[in-house]
Amino acid sequence: MWTSTGDINRMFGAMDLLRSRMNRVLTDFDRSYSDDVGWRLAADGAPRTNLYDSGDHFVVVAEVPGMAKDEIDIKVQGNYLELSGTRNKEIPEGYKVHRTESPASTFTRSFTIPSDVDVEKVQASLRDGLLTLTLPKAEAAKPKQIDIR
Amino acid sequence: MSDRAELTRVEESMPERTQQLPTITPVVDIFENDDEILLHADMPGLKKEAISINIDNGRLVLSGTRTLEKSGAVSWEEFGDVEYRRVFSVPQTIYVAKVNAELNNGVLKLQMPKFEKAKPRQIEIKAE
Repeated sequence: MWTSTGDINRMFGAMDLLRSRMNRVLTDFDRSYSDDVGWRLAADGAPRTNLYDSGDHFVVVAEVPGMAKDEIDIKVQGNYLELSGTRNKEIPEGYKVHRTESPASTFTRSFTIPSDVDVEKVQASLRDGLLTLTLPKAEAAKPKQIDIR
Repeated sequence: MSDRAELTRVEESMPERTQQLPTITPVVDIFENDDEILLHADMPGLKKEAISINIDNGRLVLSGTRTLEKSGAVSWEEFGDVEYRRVFSVPQTIYVAKVNAELNNGVLKLQMPKFEKAKPRQIEIKAE
């Protein structure tokens, strides 16, 4: 039936296009149709995280919109990391609520970091609703350059 | 080999397909009192330059593109670069020129005051 892969590709292309259009339509109607990154874990209130390995340290980034630094707790021990926090939601005084899609929540999430980290040198910063942790690897876990003699 | 050539051509003839970030809707809270409507949208990781707010003809369009700084090899990634986009209908009673927006800890806060004449008024009954 299909004479060349070109036809098949064209058909899939059209389907892709339709899917993305549908996505856009449904987004306008207030829900997301896609299984793309962006919706996982959102339901249980625990923040989504990314972990990067930069050789001598790990970087953990977590989405924590609307949280102040004293609302977040970070615990590190060996290769264990625990993030916990409370997101307080205060209804502004005298306002009627139309919609609250992100209710107040309390979460705890724990991770196993691929190797031990130097607990003393862990740094955390909070910017634009993203929590960034820099976790230097423990001396034994750092990559070493070996000289050939 | 001609298939290969055709494949590339199809790819090129469909610019819509390439380089499209996933679009997600930011979650919002909406509050209202007699004077104004407040809209709070969670947009973590966006700088204020990356957000655009457009009010036109009763439509409020919030959009913004998140570009994350990446450092090192990815061990896991649960969120990435996205395009936030959401459209709201706003009543015509909003004083568009006085809409105020601020971004705080990844939460965009819009303050939309209503026209003076649109505010509810208590009518006093005069007694003889």
